[in-house]
Amino acid sequence: MVILATNKIRKIYGELENDSYTIALDKVDLTINKGDFIAIMGPSGSGKSTLLNVLSGIDKPTSGEVTIAGEKLNDLSGDDLALFRRKQLGFVFQDFNLLDSLTVKENIILPMVLEKKSGNIINERVEELASLFGIETILQKYPYTISGGQQQRTAVSRALVNEPNIILADEPTGNLDSKSSEIIMECFEKVVNELSTTVLLVTHDVFAASYCHKVVFLKDGSVHSSITRSGRRKAFLEQIIDCQAVLGGRNSVF
Amino acid sequence: MSFNLIVMKMAKANYKKYTFYVLCNSLAVMLFFIFSTLYFNADIVQGEEADSIKYALGIPSITLVLFTVFFISQAHGIFIKKRKSEFGLFMILGMTNRDLGKLLLLENGIIAAISITLGLLCGTLSSRLAFFLLLNYMGLSGVSYQLSADMFLSTITIFLVVFLIAVGRTLFLLFNQDINLTLKSDRVSETIKMKNPVLGMVGVLIIISSILGVFITYTGPNGGDYLIIWTVFIFMGLYLALNQFTSSVINFIKKDDAHYYPRMVPLSNLDYKFKQLTSTLMLVSVMIMVTVLYNTILLFTYTDEKERLMNMNPYDIAFIQSEHHNNLTEEELYAIVDQDENPIEQHITLPVYTFFEKYHDMNWGQFYHVMSDREFSKLRSTTIALEDKEFIYYLNHEAHHNTEGYVFGFHFPAENENEGNYIHVDTIVERNLNHLSNDFVIVNQAEFERIKENREDGFESTIHLINVVHWDETAGVVDELKEIFTTANESSPSISGINGEESPEKFLFQVESKADAYQMNMNINGLSFFVFSFLSILFLFGSFVILYLNIFSTIDKERVKYSKLTKIGLTGHETKRMIAKELAPLFFTPVITGVVLSFLFIVAMATDVGGVVQNPEIMVNFIVVAGIYLLMQVGFYLYSRKKMVSKVIL
Ligand SMILES: Nc1ncnc2c1ncn2[C@@H]1O[C@H](COP(=O)(O)OP(=O)(O)OP(=O)(O)O)[C@@H](O)[C@H]1O
Ligand SMILES: [Mg+2]
Repeated sequence: MVILATNKIRKIYGELENDSYTIALDKVDLTINKGDFIAIMGPSGSGKSTLLNVLSGIDKPTSGEVTIAGEKLNDLSGDDLALFRRKQLGFVFQDFNLLDSLTVKENIILPMVLEKKSGNIINERVEELASLFGIETILQKYPYTISGGQQQRTAVSRALVNEPNIILADEPTGNLDSKSSEIIMECFEKVVNELSTTVLLVTHDVFAASYCHKVVFLKDGSVHSSITRSGRRKAFLEQIIDCQAVLGGRNSVF
Repeated sequence: MSFNLIVMKMAKANYKKYTFYVLCNSLAVMLFFIFSTLYFNADIVQGEEADSIKYALGIPSITLVLFTVFFISQAHGIFIKKRKSEFGLFMILGMTNRDLGKLLLLENGIIAAISITLGLLCGTLSSRLAFFLLLNYMGLSGVSYQLSADMFLSTITIFLVVFLIAVGRTLFLLFNQDINLTLKSDRVSETIKMKNPVLGMVGVLIIISSILGVFITYTGPNGGDYLIIWTVFIFMGLYLALNQFTSSVINFIKKDDAHYYPRMVPLSNLDYKFKQLTSTLMLVSVMIMVTVLYNTILLFTYTDEKERLMNMNPYDIAFIQSEHHNNLTEEELYAIVDQDENPIEQHITLPVYTFFEKYHDMNWGQFYHVMSDREFSKLRSTTIALEDKEFIYYLNHEAHHNTEGYVFGFHFPAENENEGNYIHVDTIVERNLNHLSNDFVIVNQAEFERIKENREDGFESTIHLINVVHWDETAGVVDELKEIFTTANESSPSISGINGEESPEKFLFQVESKADAYQMNMNINGLSFFVFSFLSILFLFGSFVILYLNIFSTIDKERVKYSKLTKIGLTGHETKRMIAKELAPLFFTPVITGVVLSFLFIVAMATDVGGVVQNPEIMVNFIVVAGIYLLMQVGFYLYSRKKMVSKVIL
């Protein structure tokens, strides 16, 4: 079942008449099915963040269409778009994006509170997610007292709390050490395998990408190539490193 | 590049931060200067009511000094906070403490100079305007706008002292603290660590018991002294309560998820805002309390006194005429009083026979008048008829005064053997005519004629009672009348044998008018009223600015917070609602606290005059003053909310 589809989206920054414009995305076609676990990779400036912003409706494409769960994002605007986002999409950010004044639990339940869900449902959901990601013991703590990995797991829980169709993550391991990255990627695996939620993430980190089922490479705003994982993670990792070399991006950290 | 050049370059790059800081300091200078134009105004502090006004200005001036201290140190704090990251960078780049100190002193020196100049300039202009508007509006004469060296000196001194302390403190911290530590001093985390709902409850308890204390002790012998002690306690309690208020609320509301969850974000935000802004909120509460309290008291004394003076003068103009005093023919009198645009409506003349009785051993005495029952009845709704040899003591005075057992200072009838004794049948105490000479003996018409015929120790005189169409336009007429009388009376023979400025005749033949009573009240209470209206505007404005600055100094953080919330799907509409929910308590808690506290003080103080229930005017005045304050604050709140929304939603 197709969850997300794009149809020749272009994103141009600046005025076309001027010389100073940038084509950040150039006719990108992307189809994502339910339960997919996809990484988007590419050199810096290749348009990864722009793509994610367009997919989530934060940015409007210059032309082309984005369809999520049958709904055309172009048709939505303002508050409707915000409502759609919080019901259908979950976000995970590089800098976690947690509110300092709220506890871990409060941060997680925030999207449900906005949806005016009842207290019981909220509490049940938090317990479920917290035990899934191993953060039961820190629920009453404040974000600045827990580790980056724990903060990101909190953010993942928050992204999932409203049972979205798809989770979008921009460099979710960008601020984490390798051990925490591993834990986060395992969390995403659980999201896909146990909750059968679709995950789309943008990353520079080949190691993180190797957890995914498919990697799409962007170059200069368009899809350059994509590879699908068929066997073990280790082999997939090698494959990704090779592709990156072909792409001419920076080399792996290994 | 020289050191000074670097500073110049930085100032240019950071002009916004500097402008903000300079404006805050100028504002502090300006407010203080405006206050000093009142405090050092010779007309106000050297006039008749100087002592009471100076006394009344005591608490407000302490509040204002506190305010200035707060305001300047806060503006400085905000400025330094914004610059700290730069300082940190300089230090990492190898700038020494000495250099940094020099830089700080230099730029703060320039800022102080500009602020003082700008503040004094604006202060002079706006105080001039305020004086002009208020004096005109209140029709107050006898006060003029003045400038004196004291005003400038005191303003500059206080500003410099506070400013230097603030700068000194920053320098000290800079030299003695790890810069990394100072850089991170503004975390939400710190305030969250201070959560202590129990302390909040303790604060509320302190407030309640102090207020009870006020009620119990205020009417006692040392009421005034106790009041100050209780006030100090109330402020302490207020600090704790404000500091922990939301923590207590959250603690309470958290018990029920259904109530807590929907208010989670604003409540937790308020929790740290209240902790961060405790001193500010406290200051604003106190300022509001002082203003509302003083204005209510003043408005009350003003209206109460006005009413009393008006009641003392039932007729617009009144005076006593005798052969040698105040003697005008009817034509002459009418030529002065009966104006085309304000004609006489009523003119009562009461013939009386007036005695003077000198007190034993004293250079003073008293006049009393004999009046016939027929004339007396003209003044009242019920008629009185007396038999021969009967008399009534009549005291022209408000009836509610306790006259039980009132002893007249004179002896009637005078011990004159051949007249026989008069029988005292009644004593009447009521206000029927203006506050002239107030002691009367009422006899019947025949007796009155007889006394007039036979006695020689008194003299015939006439009481004139005049009503015109508009009493409030008689000030000129009254003045003219008084002048003519004074000149004419100079050559009159003495009655009492007591001469000089304060002779009993002077009082007897005074013109008593509504216009004078009104003006007297205006002069005494109007001046205080003027001073406090002036202060109220100052305080209201000051309290708004300090709140506004504090709230908006952290606007960057707010923006980050709301952008985070937007990213997880908060709609524009919800953002607005949330901003409203977070701002409203910050604006209204101090107003409500201030108003409630002043209300309780008023209730406690009103026990002196019989309680608020007996004096509904106090309540009316309180509601008017508090209402105006609340309304203004609503305006400020709406403005700030709009501003906040426009700054946060991009
Ligand atoms: N708001 C903007 N205005 C103008 N140009 C922009 C804007 N945002 C991005 N661009 C340009 O669009 C192109 C794609 O940017 P994008 O941020 O999507 O790259 P990226 O793949 O996420 O890079 P990185 O890996 O460094 O995050 C870049 O050339 C960038 O300069
Ligand atoms: Mg990016």
